[in-house]
Amino acid sequence: MNKNILTEQAVYTGFINTPKNYEIDSKELIKDIYESKFINNEFKFSKNWDLLNTYIREFLQLKFHLNLKNKKTWGNIFRPKENCFHLLEVDLNDLKNSPDYICLYGVNVSNCLINIHYNDNRKKGKEYKVELKNNMFIIFSSLNHFDIINNQNDLNYILSTTYESS
Amino acid sequence: MAHFSKISEENEVLNVLAVDDKDTKNDSNQEIESVGQQYLETHNNWPAHLWIKTSYNTLQNTHRLGGTPFRGNYAGIGHIWDPQNNIFLPPKPFSSWTKNIEEARWQSPIGDAPELTEEQQNQYNSGTHDWIYLWDEDNQTWNLTNLFD
Repeated sequence: MNKNILTEQAVYTGFINTPKNYEIDSKELIKDIYESKFINNEFKFSKNWDLLNTYIREFLQLKFHLNLKNKKTWGNIFRPKENCFHLLEVDLNDLKNSPDYICLYGVNVSNCLINIHYNDNRKKGKEYKVELKNNMFIIFSSLNHFDIINNQNDLNYILSTTYESS
Repeated sequence: MAHFSKISEENEVLNVLAVDDKDTKNDSNQEIESVGQQYLETHNNWPAHLWIKTSYNTLQNTHRLGGTPFRGNYAGIGHIWDPQNNIFLPPKPFSSWTKNIEEARWQSPIGDAPELTEEQQNQYNSGTHDWIYLWDEDNQTWNLTNLFD
């Protein structure tokens, strides 16, 4: 008797635990988010972002043999109690150029819930909820719709990166 | 070309990079590991002490070109850096296996698998059987298995 797994829907979560003096500087990332939003529109390369991105890619490769290639990075600023529903990072009309995974990183967040929608065979419309915290990442398939639910009283800053897997 | 492994604070190998020899030499043109480590810290955003030099030609404490082996094995992603014994080891295959420091490898508690008999070797060579000893962790024994079955 055999079992073959044809596909899986995984959600990877974790905290960035870099060596001492190599911590991610959230204030710098917030500055970069503002800069990309209001000046450049492109999220700029920085040592800080590179440290974060390399950490995520290397540890996912090490722990789960998941080989990720960067597609796009951008930052979001959420006003108090601002919610976004049914986000989808895959372009259903252009699957070839769409990412495989979306990564959400909590730069500076509080009371932020990520609600991932998925189907489990005939059980449709299921939800998996994860609270996004500071210095935490959540990675899941770009085919999953998701909601970002903010219940905070201040601004929330989230960095999003899409990846292609090989 | 020198090779350095990037390790985590838990001594897991995250990556292996090649560095130009000139970037590992001091002012007197001597290759010094700490020079390479410093170079990598500057250019690769990871602390110097977490870059460990590794030898491309070393496997199980033997240099494949007849030279002097260096640090047990060439490091690969997922390998473990053992700072006490100054060697790289592949991931531990079974929980009961222990380190053979001399040969920089893991070994079962009852030693290596037995050699194939002459008859089994002939069958293997002629392609009628694909004999291999597989470790049975539950029963702590080597099982002779024909992979063609």
